[in-house]
This record gives sequence, C-alpha cells and structure tokens, in this order.
Amino acid sequence: MTRDQLASMTKRQLLGIARDRNLRGRSTMSKADLVDALSDHKEPADTETPDVHGLGGITIPGIAPEDRAEARARRDALNERLSEFVDLDTHCDWQSAEGHPCGLPVLTNSHRCGLHGDGSIADRAIPLTGKLGFSAWPPLWRHLSLATYDIDAFGLDPVVAEMAWHLLNMLYYDYFRVEVEGIENVPMDGGAVLVANHGGAALPYDGAMLSLAVLNEAAVPRRVRVIGTEIFNMLPGVSHLYRKVGAAYATRDDARELLRRGHILGVFPEGERGFMKPVWEAYRVGRLGRGGFAELAEEASAPIVPVAIIGSEEVHPAVMVSKRLAKLVRLFFPEQRVEEIAIALNPVPLPIRWHIRFLPPVMPSKPDHHLDSLDQLERAEDVRRTIQSALDDILSRRRTAF
Amino acid sequence: MYMQRVLITGAASWTGGNLARHLETRPDLEVFAVDDQKPRVEFTSEFQRLSLDRLTLARYVLDVRPDVVFHLQSIHPKSEHGRNTEAEERIVGSLALFGAIERLDTIRRVIVKSDTAFYGASPRNPSVLKESTRPQGTPSRFQRDLTEMERFIADAAVRQPDTAFTVLRFAPIFGPRVGNPISRYLTLPSVPTLLGFDPRLQFIHESDAIAALEHAGDHPVSGTFNIAGHGQLYLSRILRLGRRIPQPLPGRLFDGALNGLQRLNISVPDHLRGLLKHGRIVDTTEMTRTLGFEPTYTCRQTVLSAYGRQPEGER
Repeated sequence: MTRDQLASMTKRQLLGIARDRNLRGRSTMSKADLVDALSDHKEPADTETPDVHGLGGITIPGIAPEDRAEARARRDALNERLSEFVDLDTHCDWQSAEGHPCGLPVLTNSHRCGLHGDGSIADRAIPLTGKLGFSAWPPLWRHLSLATYDIDAFGLDPVVAEMAWHLLNMLYYDYFRVEVEGIENVPMDGGAVLVANHGGAALPYDGAMLSLAVLNEAAVPRRVRVIGTEIFNMLPGVSHLYRKVGAAYATRDDARELLRRGHILGVFPEGERGFMKPVWEAYRVGRLGRGGFAELAEEASAPIVPVAIIGSEEVHPAVMVSKRLAKLVRLFFPEQRVEEIAIALNPVPLPIRWHIRFLPPVMPSKPDHHLDSLDQLERAEDVRRTIQSALDDILSRRRTAF
Repeated sequence: MYMQRVLITGAASWTGGNLARHLETRPDLEVFAVDDQKPRVEFTSEFQRLSLDRLTLARYVLDVRPDVVFHLQSIHPKSEHGRNTEAEERIVGSLALFGAIERLDTIRRVIVKSDTAFYGASPRNPSVLKESTRPQGTPSRFQRDLTEMERFIADAAVRQPDTAFTVLRFAPIFGPRVGNPISRYLTLPSVPTLLGFDPRLQFIHESDAIAALEHAGDHPVSGTFNIAGHGQLYLSRILRLGRRIPQPLPGRLFDGALNGLQRLNISVPDHLRGLLKHGRIVDTTEMTRTLGFEPTYTCRQTVLSAYGRQPEGER
C-alpha cells in the first residue's frame, strides 16, 4: 500500500491495519503517525525457517513478535549446547530380551545411551537424542512403550521427564519468557538446596520453571528434584506424573536421601501458606517453615542457594482467600492441612514476564559445628531476608509485568 | 561329622517347601519340617503335620532340639485376606514357639520371614523405606499382625543375646513358578489397574528368596533386613514388559473387579490393594552391606523371567 492510499483512509481503518500487523504503540498514535508507521512497515520475509520446536504459527495474545523471535533463538542455542553431550555417530549397544537394539546415540565419552548407561541420567538430564523437539519423540515413544529402561528410586522416568521438559519449554521460552540471572551460583556437582519463594494459587508453576531454569541455562543440565506436599501423592493422575518428572514427597527422609545421593533439591519452605497468598501480599516472603532445610543442608554439608522468583505470584492473582472452601476440601481430604484456599478468576495463567535470580550460596559451617534449633531459625531468616531484598530489587527495576 | 538340625515351620507353603528341598541336598544339614497343611512342594525330609497354633508345636520343637529355626509361616495366610480368628491363633503359636526357643540352649539362629507389607502403603510414607522407618497411615490387619510378631522377636532377641534373630522383610516374591496373590494377579491376561495411579513396585525373584533364607541361615547376623531385588518399576511398565493389557478402572469399579477375581480363585488381599494404589520401595543397602546378600536378579530381570522372557538376553 502506498502512502497516498493510506492517507485517504479513515483513522479507524488505519488502526485495523495496524492491529493486523501487530504494530506496537498504535493506540496512542495520531492519524499522521499511523500513516508514517504503516508506510515504513515491511511485511516479514517468507524465507524465515519455521519454528519447529516451539509453538509454530500459533499466536498468543499479549506476546510480541520480538519475544517469539528471541524465544526461538534461545531454544536453538539450547539445542546446540545440548547436542554436545551426545555422540550422534555411535549407537548404544544395549539389546532387549529378544535382541532388539536400543538405537539411541551414545553419550559423549561413554559406550551407552542415557537410558542404559550407569545411571547418571537421574542427576544429569541429557536429551536422549541430543535435542529437544517433536522430532525426538518417536524414539522416546518407542522406549516408553517397550519399557526398555529402569527408573530411579524416587520414580524419575527419564523419558517422561524429557517429554515434559520439551513441552514446558513452550511455557518457559514463549509464554513466561523467563529471564535467569546468577545461574553460576548453582553448583555443577554434588548436593545443593535451592530455596525459593512460593506462589501460584492454582498450579505450582514455580517448581517447574525453577527446574527448567537450571536445565536450560546451567553449563551442565542438572535435574532439580522439587519436593511437594503429600496431596500430590493422593490425587489420581497427578500422583505418578509428578514422580515421573523427578519430583518427590516433602518428607525429611526423602529430602535427606536425595541430598545423600548428591542431587539438587528444590524446596519452597513457605509451603501451602505461600502458595495461597492473595495478590496484595504477592512477593512478600513469609516465614520459611521451621527452617528444616537449613538442618538438612548442614547434615549433608550442601550449600543453600536462595532463589528469588518473580512471576509465579502473579500468574493467577488470587482475589480472595476463602476459609469455607478449605473446609469443603477437608471433607474430601480429611488428613490435608488446608487452612484456606486462594481463589483466582483467570483459568488461563497471565502471560507475565518471569525473572529468576539465583543468589550467592550460603555455605555449610565447619564439620564439627552443630546447628541448634535457634541457629536453624536464624539461618532461615537470613535466607528469607536475602530472597526478599532480591525480590524488591527486581521489582523496583521492572517496568511492566508483561 | 555333626549334622546341623534345621527346623522349618510353614513348610507347606511354596517358599517353605522349596527351602526344605534346597536344604536337604546339603550334606551338613538335617531338615525337619512342620505345617498344618499338606505340602504344595514335595520334599523327602521328615514332615510333621501338626497344628501351628497350639502348644504342640512348642513341644515338637523341644523334642527335635534344632540348631537353626526357619519360622516362615509366622502369619496365617488367611490373615492376608482379612479373616482373623486363625490369624490370632497363629500369633499365639508364634509366641509359644519363641517360648520354646528360649528354653532350648541349642538354638543358635532363628530366621523369621516377614514382609515389606510391614510398612503399609500410605501416600505419607517416604519414597524409599529404610528398616528404621516408622510406617505412616492406618495399618491393615496383616500389617498389625506383622508388627506384633516382629515385636515378639525383638523382645526375644533382648532376652537371648547368644542367639542370632534375623528378620527378613521380603518384597513380593515373583517368578515363573511361585503362586502367590501378586503373581497370579500380574499374570492375568488383562490386568485391572486403578485409574490415575501408577504405583512403583519392587520384587524379589523366587530363587533369590530361597537363597536369601539360606544365606541368613549360614551367616548369623542379628537384625531386620529388607530383601528385594535391585531397581524398581512402575506397574504400567511391568505390564508392558509382560505384554499384558492394563484395564484402568476408577476406584469403585477397580474394587469390584478385584472382588470378581476372587470368584476365579485369584484373591487380592486388602494390603495388596493399598500397594496397587500407592506402591512401595524399600532400601536394600543394609541387605548388601550388613547381611552380605546379593540377589542375582534385578527387579527388571525378575519381571522378565516371571513372564517367560529371557532376562539374560538383555544386555
């Protein structure tokens, strides 16, 4: 369209074209500005490769095309980095009971693939074909349906976990556009306790995004074993899926055992009270439980990494907190300690731009030093203050939530 | 050469019969077997059919003067199914047996077969159960009986420091020949499962179960040990490995289907229903480290072998 053609249109028509082209800032423009902007605007070239691993051509309201382009770039960078962990030229020599070969490429410097190797897959999440994407799914389905591999003691199923990783990356890159800072504070081997603020009101997105942040950004993709309440163990459909993707049950025994095996533990000590925060209390970190995480980390002499997560507490802003609904829930789950239920009005999470900051680790004290209950609470309070000030800092720099 | 005298209670069961058959091939052992039913597995050693819930058992033990006692049928099989009068009497029988053991100074080892059902199957149980873990949730009848029986043993072990009391908590025994409720259930052509739940399960191969009992007889170590093969599997994977078709049913229908199976003589006791919902994984570090027993089959190989596939073909 030429400039003259545009100038002869009404402002309403111009706004319509601007909307179709997703022109930013159109609502505040005058008619002359619109004509200028639309005549400068170039149609996107068709030669660009389609985004096969992401959402493809689906447009999401509220997400700008620049963000989509960036998401694609980040995804490609991740796949390139991950492909280095796998040697595509050599195939795994594992055979099933009937002699069917495994067919997956081997891990670099190993003679087996991730599924049939020596079990490092429980800690290191290396995609079995070296990349994440739907093109990797047929071999995954094959191994899933033939049950050719073993799970770990907590129920981690590497194939299901990889599929979930791929699917949740769409949320991570395209929808929540998570930015990560300070990933170098997460140790690349041995146990560690990641302590984060909790939010969500409807679904624990923060647990998923925290694990994905470590998987996607760290030099070595390590699994974060997030621990959740027993309600996950009781709900049909959820009870096994959440174990298959690598989570565990929040009991001291499980946490201790995970740390003993040298895994990264992800904990949300605010617990259910933090999860059910109403929107006017968002990003105000509550008491971090009884500070049990400090004792666990001390026992295993693992560092505590405080994590500030911006985003989780706004995706489902809870407009009210109901005690009556909690009573109703207790009728069905009499053993559940539900005090109140947060009610959010949006069934779909808001497209908030997330920001996760890993803070410098709190190192365990000397081996002969015993941590008494007061030390524990003090350490928990220190961690809480660190997270709170990091949250305040990120919030003060943030221009918009979306 | 002195022959060690071995007494096996509960010799009519599959495990008991096979243990007797295995031990009588050894030249250094003389086997005496007791039960109140006809043995399911044939063996040549002396078999005494007497009621296990009376003092007769205790008198027989005093007559035989054994060196080693394998107390396998400590819990009445019907106790697994929730009917409890016989179970109560059998507990009394165990009490009498331990009394007799206390009176005899010849006994050097007592090996008791318990079950990982001791831990129950609660969503509040930790993911990996250690011997020291205190079970959570409401206990089933079978679980209560096991707890009570293990308490007798703990008491007896305190009173008799010279005798080694070994309690072996067996994971479900599975294999191509054993016929117990879980193996009959898992080898159905189409297996009813609980919709929305996929329990993590662990097994011990039938030959490893016998080997574990024999190992405990040869290596006296006091204490309680979980006995299970290495590794663990989801129920859905087990059925895939066995090429069985899962029939996911919602709660009520699932219970109904299991009750229907009872008509076909495949009973699924209450404590197994909990297991099929929440699953159970036990820690076997103590088994390999303190008891020194190493099972030859992993859980995966056990399942393959039980379904008649070649586990050694898998490399």
